[in-house]
Amino acid sequence: MTEPRNPGMSSIPQAAPVHTDSTSPAVEMDPVEYTLRKRLPRKLPKRRNDVYVNMKTDFRAQLARCQKLLEGGGHREICVHGLGLAINRAINIALQLQASSQGVLQLAANTSTVELVDDLEPEDPDEAGEPMTRTRNNSAIHIKVFYPDPQ
Amino acid sequence: MTEPRGQMKSSNGASSTVMALQSASSSPDVQFSSLSPKLEPSNFRRVSRTEDCSPYPIPGLAADILHMRVKEGSKIRNLLRFATARMQGEGNDGSGTSLRQVVFTGSGRGVTKTITCVEILKRKVGGLHQVSKLYYKTVNEIWESPQQGAPGRNTQRTVPAICILLSKDPLDPQEPGYQPPETLSVTTEDVERRRALFRPAHSASLQHTAKRVCMDDLSVCSPQTSKD
Repeated sequence: MTEPRNPGMSSIPQAAPVHTDSTSPAVEMDPVEYTLRKRLPRKLPKRRNDVYVNMKTDFRAQLARCQKLLEGGGHREICVHGLGLAINRAINIALQLQASSQGVLQLAANTSTVELVDDLEPEDPDEAGEPMTRTRNNSAIHIKVFYPDPQ
Repeated sequence: MTEPRGQMKSSNGASSTVMALQSASSSPDVQFSSLSPKLEPSNFRRVSRTEDCSPYPIPGLAADILHMRVKEGSKIRNLLRFATARMQGEGNDGSGTSLRQVVFTGSGRGVTKTITCVEILKRKVGGLHQVSKLYYKTVNEIWESPQQGAPGRNTQRTVPAICILLSKDPLDPQEPGYQPPETLSVTTEDVERRRALFRPAHSASLQHTAKRVCMDDLSVCSPQTSKD
């Protein structure tokens, strides 16, 4: 039961918060053990031309989806979003789109910070551990890929 | 590239399907970002690695601008200690005036760290205008064979890179990738004045919110909601 339902979520190694700050109200992990459960990022706006890049889906599939939106879908611009580790892939997709359009497409990148929430659940309910939540920040990128307006 | 799509449907054991999925999803990033031959012999030794010193992709920058090169192993605290000291330099020791602009660049796996640095610096300093640019960076590598006399190999790779300019002065809003400073419905001057007045309290509260720990009720964060 303590096993997270989604093995892909728990196996992201670099996102585990290891720093406990001395100035913050003490995060005492000991002696009670906690299970760290990461909530999904807050629900984001999803227009038809928004693409949220992740690290689970095949890279070529995500690139093809963007190409389809721009060429077949008739969109003048799409928005490629990436969070954390997926920033690299989002940039890669945007640059690949630009390269395959022979430089017609333009990119406009914006960065932001996304607040993520982790749940800390006590392993053993008999011990006096209280369930807690912890917020942390992660970086994100939003790349607008668009055909410039004819001047 | 070599993997046929149909392989995922023909289920010859769950584990092998996962393996195929993983290899298919991890390799294309490398393939797309590099033009080098796919199989680099592992016993070749990399002798040198030179990056092209291309000009800044952002137009109209001074040559002597403070340039922070974020690498994969750079420590964020080191970068930010230096950058914030130069950006908020006024009044502390009186030695130099504070800088108006700073450029952060990073490539490959350092891109995420670059963005994180910029985001933290924006929160710390406040009222900064930003322009971000994406580009491919060319990296020349010379590989040496372990056997004596065997020819070495020269490869060229392209890695995705980001270049972010932060400025206290207003920038061209028409420039692609421009971001105005984040103000909470107050003008820039207002922020500046308030920052000057309440610098210690302000920065302390920022740090506090960044590493806040909420002690919420179970009802707020019940596991059922997070599962489904």
